Amino acid sequence: MMYLNIKSLALPMTAGILPVSILLSLSACQADENQMLERRNWQLVWSDEFDGAAGDAPDPAKWTYDIGTGSNGWGNQELQYYTNRPENVAMDGDGHLVITARRETFAGAAFTSARIKTQGLFTQTYGRFEARLKTPYGPGLWPAFWMLGEDIVTDGWPQCGEMDIMELRGQEPNIVNGSVHGPGYSGGGAITKGFSLTDNRFDTDFHLFAIEWGEDYIEYFVDDTLYQRLTPDDLTGEWVFDHPFFMLLNVAVGGNYVGFPTTQTPFPQQMTIDYVRVYREAN
Amino acid sequence: MKHTYPYPVTGLILAFTALFFSCERDLNELDPATYPTTAEVFIDAFSGDMGYAAFGGSDVRAFDVDTDVKYKGTSSMRIAVPDYDDPAGAYAGGVYFSNTGRDLSGYNVLTFWAKASRPASIDLIGFGNDLGENKYQAAIAGVEVNTNWKKYYIPIPDPSKLKAERGLLFFSEGPENGTGYTFWIDEARFEKLGTIAHARSGILDGADVTQNAETGNTFTIQGYAVANLPNGVDQRVETAPSYFDFASSDTGVAGVSASGVVNILDAGTAVITATLAGVESEGSLTIVSSGAPVLPQVAAPPPTVPADKVISVFSNVYDNVPVDFFNGYWQFSTAQVFDVQINGDDVKRYTQLNFVGIQFTAPTIDASTMTHFHIDIWTPDPVGPSTVFKVLLVDIGADGAFGGGDDSSHEITINSSMLATGSWISLDLPLASFTGLSSRTRLAQIVLSGGLPNLFVDNIFFYREESATEPAVAAPAPTLPQANVISLFSEVYNNVPVDTWRTPWSSAAFEDVFIAGNAAKKYSALDFVGIETIVSQIDATNMTHFHIDAWSADFNFFGVKLVDFGADGAFGGGDDVEHQVNFEMPAQGQWISYDIPLSEFTGLTTRKHISQFILVGKPTGANTVYVDNLYFHN
Repeated sequence: MMYLNIKSLALPMTAGILPVSILLSLSACQADENQMLERRNWQLVWSDEFDGAAGDAPDPAKWTYDIGTGSNGWGNQELQYYTNRPENVAMDGDGHLVITARRETFAGAAFTSARIKTQGLFTQTYGRFEARLKTPYGPGLWPAFWMLGEDIVTDGWPQCGEMDIMELRGQEPNIVNGSVHGPGYSGGGAITKGFSLTDNRFDTDFHLFAIEWGEDYIEYFVDDTLYQRLTPDDLTGEWVFDHPFFMLLNVAVGGNYVGFPTTQTPFPQQMTIDYVRVYREAN
Repeated sequence: MKHTYPYPVTGLILAFTALFFSCERDLNELDPATYPTTAEVFIDAFSGDMGYAAFGGSDVRAFDVDTDVKYKGTSSMRIAVPDYDDPAGAYAGGVYFSNTGRDLSGYNVLTFWAKASRPASIDLIGFGNDLGENKYQAAIAGVEVNTNWKKYYIPIPDPSKLKAERGLLFFSEGPENGTGYTFWIDEARFEKLGTIAHARSGILDGADVTQNAETGNTFTIQGYAVANLPNGVDQRVETAPSYFDFASSDTGVAGVSASGVVNILDAGTAVITATLAGVESEGSLTIVSSGAPVLPQVAAPPPTVPADKVISVFSNVYDNVPVDFFNGYWQFSTAQVFDVQINGDDVKRYTQLNFVGIQFTAPTIDASTMTHFHIDIWTPDPVGPSTVFKVLLVDIGADGAFGGGDDSSHEITINSSMLATGSWISLDLPLASFTGLSSRTRLAQIVLSGGLPNLFVDNIFFYREESATEPAVAAPAPTLPQANVISLFSEVYNNVPVDTWRTPWSSAAFEDVFIAGNAAKKYSALDFVGIETIVSQIDATNMTHFHIDAWSADFNFFGVKLVDFGADGAFGGGDDVEHQVNFEMPAQGQWISYDIPLSEFTGLTTRKHISQFILVGKPTGANTVYVDNLYFHN
């Protein structure tokens, strides 16, 4: 999830992702043999299980909202108007939070959706951040689970840093991407890697998307598979992942990253989130 | 407009079995007790169990194997769509079938790659057309192709139904805007893809439809399935009824068969719903049955227009023109038509009428001299404020054929204020109000539609309403006293002598006539006519007005000239004076009493020797004027 408007993005990224995805999906079958995972002792420090009644808003002690269309479609030419209405964000009564993107005219926008965040309510430096969710689908849909440095209000983007734990283009419902943005490697120059399912898609069942973040590493997981490990050496600029970050969940419609929805894009579209959990490594 | 072709296609004019043997398959491997699960339809050749049959009416040579153009491997299927009017066939269409049948229940989608010589929209591509009842036909419609190879997916609505399927692939495509083109299909195979997701289905386009009905009506329910493709786009599949399980909420009111045919059995309400593969389908049909049909007790009023002014499509009173059909059973039309008699009068009874076409092409009707369209209708259906009835007329233009860019049509909507339940309504629609009908020399269709599903129809004809060509009543009788009048012609007054009512130099025909027993002068083919009083010249010096009553069905100009011969009392001599008063666009079909002040005859400076009266009418030489009560008065 980028935060600013970057134009030359779609083509190079698509070209880069596909071969990577194929390789990863092939090796995923042999994950146990190839992956040398460090054993870490995670302690749960924050979570939202979304156990509210149907129609309930997210817990205001944990989540706040971005409302409206931001500046220039939240920097990305996105088309949706973010609201905090239950039509766009609410519990389903079955232990899930549902963010719904709709094709409807609202305050001059052609679509509505929601973006919630823990900014000002919860931040953490390092740890494991995970969300179990089912994505929406369809051309032009852009769901994301991601993090921003809390210093964005003082240092700005991309200096604050951005970690995208899960992003998906609705026209490729079997591919997710994990990325970091920072000074010298933001927008189209972000460090990114895709992970694809073989003969399956991320919108039909729940999957667990996580990063494990330490002083000198960020590791990206889908379910139990580590598909990307980044260290300061992998970056083409300064390592800025050393201060508190907050989390965001949203479903964007349109924008530079994903392209516009077409008349064939099915609406409404839902991202269904089972839980969000944050751990700290116990010493 | 693009032509669409009947589907499922039942008429098979020519079927030839193409011998495409695969080298890889040994027939001895086949277990006779079960059906093979072969996935391949066409990779570089057809699997060994397959044959091809072209649809009736199609170009049977449209399909061939192409070794030059292919997506992958050594060859592809090439389909050459003919031009409009190609004698070889009107469209390209056919079935690739398995002679043995296959068990496809382990797959969930038929995929293929396709491209075309130019961007086009293929009418229909699918599977399940088995040259028989096409029980499990499923197809995608309006398949957009262009010059690039692209992969296409036809999700199987319910794979468990395809245990012994013979119809592996079929297509049907007509010319695009009248011209043919070529498309290619390659790598056609059944697959089981985990990236096909979010299957759902529906009937009646997913709508909850309420249908008024009577006992004996039948309805066929159309269904569809939808699945989301690997690119996130939903693909709709036109799905044969046999994939669905139908249910009626009241089987005493309406039954529904496995093939989706709803039969209305009695009065009451029943809701028809469906499931596909055990999952509820979107949409429903609520039948509101009024029970046994209600018929008119009396025949429609017999028309009274003279037969020589009528072109009749359907009436016992007139000779009728040849009619191709009173129901074209067009796609999406649910209408049924029956011939019934009401008190010995033939009537067309329509049921389940959403729209119906009545066609007459051999020959078409030339209604260019007609002025009105007439139809009598009777309905037992309730007429609410929003109920309408519509009449559409279609002219196929100078080319004498449908299409070709010269067709025109117009639809008139009759609103509820003109409609009624249980009584005959005679509609007389002026053809001039069909403004979109740019010609009516080759009328070929009448399309009836609207909100009256049960409709009895009689006396369908075009007719010419002629306005009266002569006055029905006499001109109003003058009331001035004789003493105030010098009359040339009137039954009320003593008339002065008139030399002639038509001088030889006139350009008009003249006749003395009686209108309702009252004498009048009739001038036809009128350009101008001279009336003379030379022998007994009129001294109108004490008069103030000249009066004349005139009646014409067709003049658009009327002029009255008075000529005074002057002091010498003879034509010429340098002292003649005259003046003509003109009336543009006079009213037609009614007596007009012109009472013209003599002061308006400004050139008539003397009026002691008035000797000539000249009447002028237009269109020149093509109008008829009746005149009466010509007199001066004061």
